[in-house]
Amino acid sequence: MTMTLETEPRKLPLHEEHLQKGARMGDFGGWLVPLFYTSIVEEHTAVRTKAGIFDISHMGEFLVDGPEALNYLEKNLPRRITPVKFGQAIYMPLINDQGGMVDDIIVYRMAEQKFLIIVNAGNIGKDFTWFKARMTQGVTLTDLSDEMGLLALQGPLSQTILLECFGAFYKDLRRFHYKDFEGGVIARTGYTGEDGYEIMIPKHKLKQVWDVLFRVGAKHGLLPVGFGARDTLRLEAAMPLYGHELNDEITPLEADLEWAVDLTKNEFPGCAILKEKKKTGILKKRVGFEMTGRGIPRQGFEIQKAGKTIGTVTSGSFIPTTCKNIGMAYVTATEAKTGNAIDVMVRGKPVKAVLVSLPFYKGKG
Amino acid sequence: MDFPENLRYTKTHEWIAVEGAKARVGVTEYAQKEISDVVFVELPKQGQAVQQAKTAAVVESVKAAFDIYAPVSGKITNANKTLESNPGLINQSPYVAGWIFELELSSPAELNTLMTAAQYHEAIHQASKH
Repeated sequence: MTMTLETEPRKLPLHEEHLQKGARMGDFGGWLVPLFYTSIVEEHTAVRTKAGIFDISHMGEFLVDGPEALNYLEKNLPRRITPVKFGQAIYMPLINDQGGMVDDIIVYRMAEQKFLIIVNAGNIGKDFTWFKARMTQGVTLTDLSDEMGLLALQGPLSQTILLECFGAFYKDLRRFHYKDFEGGVIARTGYTGEDGYEIMIPKHKLKQVWDVLFRVGAKHGLLPVGFGARDTLRLEAAMPLYGHELNDEITPLEADLEWAVDLTKNEFPGCAILKEKKKTGILKKRVGFEMTGRGIPRQGFEIQKAGKTIGTVTSGSFIPTTCKNIGMAYVTATEAKTGNAIDVMVRGKPVKAVLVSLPFYKGKG
Repeated sequence: MDFPENLRYTKTHEWIAVEGAKARVGVTEYAQKEISDVVFVELPKQGQAVQQAKTAAVVESVKAAFDIYAPVSGKITNANKTLESNPGLINQSPYVAGWIFELELSSPAELNTLMTAAQYHEAIHQASKH
């Protein structure tokens, strides 16, 4: 068995707390993050049946404000921002001039002309450059990534725990809405397919919140959850991940994210290309599949049909809830039919699988 | 961590129990902890020839696949089929119920290149300091 050694990645603000809870740390996009504390299977199950807490402080946060902030975002983002009310958040991909996806982001409207944008950790530099290159007068762009921390409380018992910790003020928070909290926000969002919250606060307040959540959450079965289970949870919920299902060459049409772009808009980058592509049709499509033969699919494995290559696996794993081996992939659009029998090439050998409809798991999230 | 005295060990965290010209192979307590939940095992076929330090089996956790190398060269005589339906045995009992395959040694002299329990313990200790 071979194992790789990590090189000097950045530490999370709660690094010591993770070690105290027995975390196995590992590299994730240049950050030293908890991969798991006890076991991926146990942590995955906790989020599906009780509650789990994730430290995702590696994620990036940008603030966009100034008298022209709304116009600026309306011109550059693929969904309409004007209808987004204060206290509301919206998900979308960030699109380049070729129609490919630079990243996927969540935009929070904080005031008439003030927006907070959450971006993937590995893309902070690239996204900042993208926003900066499109700057106009009357807009200020600030990278808050080094100041803000982010915790995610996810699972069917997350509401019970949150209200017990922070009071009934957060009771009627609807999905993709948020309320102010300790110089940051508590939003009803997440990346697990389960009900839950994301708590964004200044870094120096993280430990206090982390401790309170555990003090209250322990009796409800709250567990710390690492990046291993974060990946199996999002995969099971069929949520795309940048670097796997999303990248600069793939369009939202192929990624099955057309719902997150508004093609009736005329201004955002890549807009004309996407409209044209919508007319002419896409050549490949994101699909889900389940292994029927013995083998676990992994990113990069080839997909064949009758000995001919028809696609590539983008994410794959054993899934604890169902004990199935599943994956997401891009396959030739004409082959992207539920029920289609395919072969996944596992270490050079074809192993049978079948295309299934997404998501693999549908919770209350 | 437990590293039985009667076994020999590789740098890549396999153990081997030798009995005459035959031997049984698995992964160490340290390896099963590092891999975490084992959810899939691909076993070698009976009669298959394996070479020292070359892949003989694959053990997969939720996150990743790990190659299991043959500690010595030989011919596979048996594989632990129980692991196909219960791969978690590698975590629960890495030295007994979680053994992976058995082989007939073709070059017994290769055993001299393997580590004793004390040497293996020291090697892990050194590696964890980095």
